[in-house]
Amino acid sequence: MDSFVTFLRLTLLSMVPFVLAAQGTMLGGRTGVFNVAQEGIMLVGASLGFMASYMLGGNTVAGIIAAMLVGGIFGLALAYFTTTLKMNQFVIGLSLLFIGTGLSTLIPKLIIGVTLSQPLIPTLQDLPIPLLSKIPVLGPILFSHNILVYFSILLSIGLWYFLFRTQLGLELRSVGENPHAADSLGINTVKHRYLTAIIGGMLIGLAGVYLPMVYTGTFTEGMVKGRGWLTIALTFFAGWSPLPVLYGSLFFAGIEVASYRFQAGGIAIPYQYLLMVPYLATILVMMFTFRKTRVPSFLGNNYDREKRSL
Amino acid sequence: MTIVRKTVPYLIAIIASFAAAGIFIALTGANVFQAYETILITSFRTPNGFVQTLLKFIPLTLQALAFTIPLTAGKFNMGGEGQMIVGAIAASAVGIVGADLPAIVLLPLVILAGVVAGALWGFIPAYLLYKFNINEILTSMLLNFVSFQIIDLVATGVWRDPVAGHPTTVQIGAGGFLPMLIKNPPLNAGLILALLVAAGVYIYTSRTAGGYELIATGANPRAASVFGINVKRMFVFSIVLAGGIAGLSGVIEVAGVQHRLIVGLQHNFLVLGVIIALIAKGNNLAVPFVAFFIAILEVGASAMQRTMNVPVEMVFIVEALVLLFVLLSDVVRRR
Amino acid sequence: MEKEAILELRNIRKVFDKTVALDSVSFSLYPGEIHGLLGGNGAGKTTLMNILYGLYRKDEGEINFHGKKLNIQGPRDAIDNKIGMVHQHFLQIGNYTVLENIVLGTNVSHPGSMDLSAEAEKLADLGKRFFLPVEPNAVVDTLPVGTRQKVEILKALYRGVEVLILDEPTTNLTPQEVDDLFDSLRVIVNEGRSIVFITHKLREVLHVCDRITVLREGRNITSLTRAEASEDIFIRAMVGDQMEIEGSVYFSHAKMANVAANESATPALEMKNVGLKTKEGISRLTDLNFQIKQGEIFGVAGVAGNGQRELAECVTGVVLPSEGSILMHGKDVTALPVNELLKQGVAYIPEDRLHDGFLPKANVAQNLILGYHRQKPYYEHGLIKWNTVYDKVRGYISEYNIKTNGPEDPGGNLSGGNIQRVMIARAFSMDANLLVAHNPTRGLDIPSMDFVYNKMLDHKKSGSSTLLISEDLDELLLISDRIAVLYRGQILGILDRKDFDKYAIGRLMSGIRAEETADLRAAS
Repeated sequence: MDSFVTFLRLTLLSMVPFVLAAQGTMLGGRTGVFNVAQEGIMLVGASLGFMASYMLGGNTVAGIIAAMLVGGIFGLALAYFTTTLKMNQFVIGLSLLFIGTGLSTLIPKLIIGVTLSQPLIPTLQDLPIPLLSKIPVLGPILFSHNILVYFSILLSIGLWYFLFRTQLGLELRSVGENPHAADSLGINTVKHRYLTAIIGGMLIGLAGVYLPMVYTGTFTEGMVKGRGWLTIALTFFAGWSPLPVLYGSLFFAGIEVASYRFQAGGIAIPYQYLLMVPYLATILVMMFTFRKTRVPSFLGNNYDREKRSL
Repeated sequence: MTIVRKTVPYLIAIIASFAAAGIFIALTGANVFQAYETILITSFRTPNGFVQTLLKFIPLTLQALAFTIPLTAGKFNMGGEGQMIVGAIAASAVGIVGADLPAIVLLPLVILAGVVAGALWGFIPAYLLYKFNINEILTSMLLNFVSFQIIDLVATGVWRDPVAGHPTTVQIGAGGFLPMLIKNPPLNAGLILALLVAAGVYIYTSRTAGGYELIATGANPRAASVFGINVKRMFVFSIVLAGGIAGLSGVIEVAGVQHRLIVGLQHNFLVLGVIIALIAKGNNLAVPFVAFFIAILEVGASAMQRTMNVPVEMVFIVEALVLLFVLLSDVVRRR
Repeated sequence: MEKEAILELRNIRKVFDKTVALDSVSFSLYPGEIHGLLGGNGAGKTTLMNILYGLYRKDEGEINFHGKKLNIQGPRDAIDNKIGMVHQHFLQIGNYTVLENIVLGTNVSHPGSMDLSAEAEKLADLGKRFFLPVEPNAVVDTLPVGTRQKVEILKALYRGVEVLILDEPTTNLTPQEVDDLFDSLRVIVNEGRSIVFITHKLREVLHVCDRITVLREGRNITSLTRAEASEDIFIRAMVGDQMEIEGSVYFSHAKMANVAANESATPALEMKNVGLKTKEGISRLTDLNFQIKQGEIFGVAGVAGNGQRELAECVTGVVLPSEGSILMHGKDVTALPVNELLKQGVAYIPEDRLHDGFLPKANVAQNLILGYHRQKPYYEHGLIKWNTVYDKVRGYISEYNIKTNGPEDPGGNLSGGNIQRVMIARAFSMDANLLVAHNPTRGLDIPSMDFVYNKMLDHKKSGSSTLLISEDLDELLLISDRIAVLYRGQILGILDRKDFDKYAIGRLMSGIRAEETADLRAAS
């Protein structure tokens, strides 16, 4: 029972990068922007966020701000190249991915250089909620986490309400379904696209810096390990909806935690097989859900008001 | 547009990227012009430098083609890495198991094994796309991560070379070595293979009916389908073919360069291959030229890190910026 | 006494790339009038109104509303000035409800909870006043075309528009629905609003408009009141010197003699009990039985969305029928794939030319051989003979008057009308036995439409057959030998040319079967 509680607790801890990155992806997708640069944005957010914190003596807030800032800049670039310059979203996404990946290893090398011992920052503190955290079982699972765990849950609920229960949400979603229609009714499609791309980028950058700040205390090359790509898959089979994203993230995190657990738990299977599990599991889930998921109709396309419909 | 005018945007892109990188290099205190010189001239300073460039040119060209072929059909094969790795694994396996076989038997088997393995690894995302309509960018990428574990298993398994510090297998049989074009510095016949493949791909897409169908599929899959082209089959075929070519790049690394399976053999060839393909705008004729240019930069980058302590990632940023500027030049031209 | 014009567009100029779409065009609108904006395709009517509505930016000219100069940067400005537009292709969010589509972009009473009961009431009220009843919670993409159009009009009325622009509103309506629409328009206008009625159908314009302005090639030609107008004046205005009106097919008022089809030969096409069901089990085509004779132009009429596309796709092999069989010249071709059918002499002009027929990223030559790229003379031993292709393509470019720089010109450079010419050139390039044409003249100006009609009549004279599916009833009446009416995937009736009657066909298009009509007549 004890290990089950620990398992769930770790799952909630591990779901955060997925939730944050996937909600960021989902938000952009709801206005038609298909971001594929997550892996690079998470890497550069992790890298620069870590560096900012490290250089200011372990300042967590500075790290978070730096990560969100760089993520927002990448989001802005994505919005500009696709929405304003009308360039292909996949190609731009891949280009930003490359630049992010390159910068994530380059900047630490330039500023910190190669050191003998790993530079470290203190990890993010847990913030147990008074009273609730004392409840047996549920307490440690749900109410004794760091602030970003709580933030992920509240963010998901907030996004659901915003998108499906408010006027602004109705307008935002219409931009990803049919921007011609939205534009013809006076909705500012460009503004919606830019805002979701920037906020989405900020969330993805935040997802990145979570890794050094909570898991390892330092930045290592390639530490995102494909989570950016898993995020895209997750967003797809969550049907680009905030609450299924939350559930899906729990599921993914659960698989990730389980495979590490089995590794440590001395099962006879070579650890390489266990490390494969998250990726293979993702492919399996996609096989079963891809047919049924709903995707915003205009996803992946750029809208040009003056383009004459031939 | 004359050829000269066509290259102008590329030249501007290169100059702009170098200028941007130059600012960073200066900030690290290194001598900017010495850095530029090292990056660009190292390939031509010594015969070894030139051969090293060619040895990089081979996998870069093949990886780029593995991206352009599906791209022509409108699909994004991000699995070149995994396809290369399984190709290398298959080649090594055959090379080790059949170590006693003569070259006339072993070498073709080694090549065939690698190409088929790569094609099969490409068949998985292709089939998932065909049957379940799953986005191939995701599946091909995820399989890359799976392949990292597989190569780790193989290189630390039965065939492990006990004396090597890094996970590596024992050597493959001599019969599996690709013949050398030049003994010293070591240039293997993989170069010929790569050039043949590049030529073959170009002829296929520009002259055959099959190549036309590939182009039509990518231009508008719905219209191509309405007018009789089996679009789904085109998708599968293009990705499987790409997988085979990427597998070949793995074979050449094993049979031509290392003569064994080394974890990490894929370097960053996929990322650079995609960059090359996009800079060449999917044009199969331009790919070898762009690949050669990138190979020069890569060789120069290692030299620069060795001699001047400037990190290799600096050159990677240059390459990514060249891509971005080339893409932007299209936008400017449109206006 | 003439009232003051409430809206004036003066000397509007608009250039797209190198094409002058509007060359100093002026237009004025008076209160309480229905003002027709008449012209062929490409005349500039929609462009002019898109500028007024803010979807395009004008290059020169000014817009005055109630005497004040208007600076319209986007649709928001037009809406704020009480100008509304109903577009030819509806701009609706398919998976939203009717009510959501109508309030989208307005400030609702409860923005933080989306309680839309007040808005629903207002909508119900409007529906009653203007004879446009709609179900507020229906999801829009489940609704038929006629209802979706009502939603579009209500969208504008809901915003309290003073000026309502309608772009080709009758394209997808039966003749009876057109009459109902005109009744609603009268109610709208009687309360003091004004309507701009864009159309290319001159008979409609004479029927419902108070004043009419004619545009041709981006220029003003004339502006007349209904009293001053006549069909002949408009014909001349719409077409100018571009073509011989006397000998044309378009203006021949269907007076052409019928060239007898070949009765004795095996039918070019025979449909036997053909049915088509979607994956979810919905019937799109039910029990289709008809034959197309050799040398016949067989028309299929119907409101859009009643199975026309499915019919075209079954005959051309794009889609496999769920039941029944299709024979061509006596041979069963039901299961043949598209490329086989193309080899057997079928040609196809799809309705949605951009999505279903054209490759914008490929060049003109590559577009012209699509579907025929494995046939002679283009193909040999696995290779495409590009020299031969280019020669042929140059010939087609001049024969079909395709405005392009040459065979290697990227397809994306072509305008809509020229894309259609490419489709038509392709369809006629292989001496097809059976031409399947779905809305072949849509988007073409009148001289081009005439060219296509002449081509089809030549095709007929040479003994080949045509399945002409069209949502333009006038077109069908003009050149078909027989007309079948498609309603909800079934053929409700087939009329011979001698029995052509627009209103009879209109009733069938609305689903009223022949026996019912007889009963109605007997009852009245």
